[in-house]
Amino acid sequence: MPYIKEERPETLSVEGEWAYGAHVYKANTLLDEFCEGLREKKLIGALCMGCGKVIVPPRAICGRCHIRMEGRQVVSDRGTVVSYIVSPPMVKGKYKMLGMDPVELGIVKEGESLVPGHVRFDGSDSPYNLPILNARPEEVRVGMRVKVVWKEDLEGKLSDIEGVEPIRD
Amino acid sequence: MTRRVAIVGYAQSNHQYDMPLPREDMVFEVVKGALEDAGITKKEVDTVVSASTDFLDGRTISGVFYGMAAGAYLKDESKAEEDGTLALYYAFMRILTDIYDVALVEAHTQGSCINPHQVSFYMLDPLFDRQFNVLNDIATAALQARMYMSKYDVAEEDIAMVAVKNLANAASNPHAHRRMLDVTPEEVLNSKLYYEPIRELTMSPISDGACALVLASEERAREFTDSPVWILGAGSCQDSYLRDRNLHRLESLEKAAQRAYEMAGIKDPVSELEVLEVSEKFAHEEMMIYEALGLCREGKGRVLIEDGITSKYGELPVNPSGGALGADPVCATGLIRVIEAAKQINGEANGYQMPHACRALAHGQFGLCAQKNVVFVLGGE
Repeated sequence: MPYIKEERPETLSVEGEWAYGAHVYKANTLLDEFCEGLREKKLIGALCMGCGKVIVPPRAICGRCHIRMEGRQVVSDRGTVVSYIVSPPMVKGKYKMLGMDPVELGIVKEGESLVPGHVRFDGSDSPYNLPILNARPEEVRVGMRVKVVWKEDLEGKLSDIEGVEPIRD
Repeated sequence: MTRRVAIVGYAQSNHQYDMPLPREDMVFEVVKGALEDAGITKKEVDTVVSASTDFLDGRTISGVFYGMAAGAYLKDESKAEEDGTLALYYAFMRILTDIYDVALVEAHTQGSCINPHQVSFYMLDPLFDRQFNVLNDIATAALQARMYMSKYDVAEEDIAMVAVKNLANAASNPHAHRRMLDVTPEEVLNSKLYYEPIRELTMSPISDGACALVLASEERAREFTDSPVWILGAGSCQDSYLRDRNLHRLESLEKAAQRAYEMAGIKDPVSELEVLEVSEKFAHEEMMIYEALGLCREGKGRVLIEDGITSKYGELPVNPSGGALGADPVCATGLIRVIEAAKQINGEANGYQMPHACRALAHGQFGLCAQKNVVFVLGGE
């Protein structure tokens, strides 16, 4: 990443970096179950048998009850926007998400904003962070009804969910 | 001490390389185990203190991620960077304040997620030592070993004997990672060389593992158990970074031990302690630890090994569990020593139980060449 190197008149500096390499992030097998569900356009949540909460995307442990979330619950792919963000207008080469340029990728046009949303699907007790697509930023509001935009060819991966879009019926 | 504090329950994982469990699940298992061992639920816990490092966890402020698994949901919680004995130290102090009665202490590392030795490069001084690109914790330990060996006429064979003792001890500990009952000095001396004289079998293995224990004030401890393990003394001390430091002796450990002995009223550790569990991340360090703990005179650590005094059948057994050479889930290693010492006092060390273990010492360390040291003296009823 190109930093602007400022002159430091008061101190000397040496070159250095703070990048310690690849890390293995181990996931619970719940992630497999969730991804398998996506192949059939199903959102499989984890159900806590202690407090009855349904968490989507699922997690293995309920911190509230301190037990494993043994239950499974399929929730609707329709939900409600709980909160959202409107990004600054995207400019090619200026912003990167996960190392990729959203303008270059065609996710957003030059000068337009991205709208990441905090979406709670019907039947779930937790919000899922997904981009709100096919909507002008000024028409997005808290409480807006949305549905999943599924990828055309489902592969059983997290990327099968492209985002959500407003329900316009 | 104003208040007595006891260990009332504990659990540890089966340490291994590449555990087929995510970090959060591993933490959950040991925390659940420790609570069950104490016969309580998370409701009784007032404060949770954990230990790990953001580097090894692969995210910053990593405590917020495994906190729920550690039972910290809507509770007072804090994370100690580095070794689990530091987390225990903080939890101990919290109970001494009279504000808290029950604390849960947890420590973990999954070395299979990122090589801890690779991370150790970032412990180095960026202005000088990092510029060479050859130093890491193994290389600096080799500097230390060579200095110690040349000063006190210690041979590689002596260091190998430490490894033989601990690796064979680890064979009877079901939680240990590297269990080698029949290992020979030749095998140790022919194992893969990293930085002379450090070899694969004279340094700790890269392990995945976690452990947890429950700490309680005297009043609560008596409610939970008939066999509390008391913290009789505690001491912690940090030495300077590499250059301005006598690498051939562990001065900070000496100070930490003095503090712990004083608190526990120990005058002669050799006759007053029955078993010790120490964090020897490299085999030569165990001899240096003997000296710093006052078990022998400076430079004479090798004699305790030669004469078998610290072996399982010796007068003063050190690391009957196999120590850090047996398993080293980095941040958990010191806290595992505490648990092993508590097991000895409770007579629960099946297969490696030492006779008449009433008082035990546990040691944890962190930093290059054991820069920081923590000592606990534990005792039974």
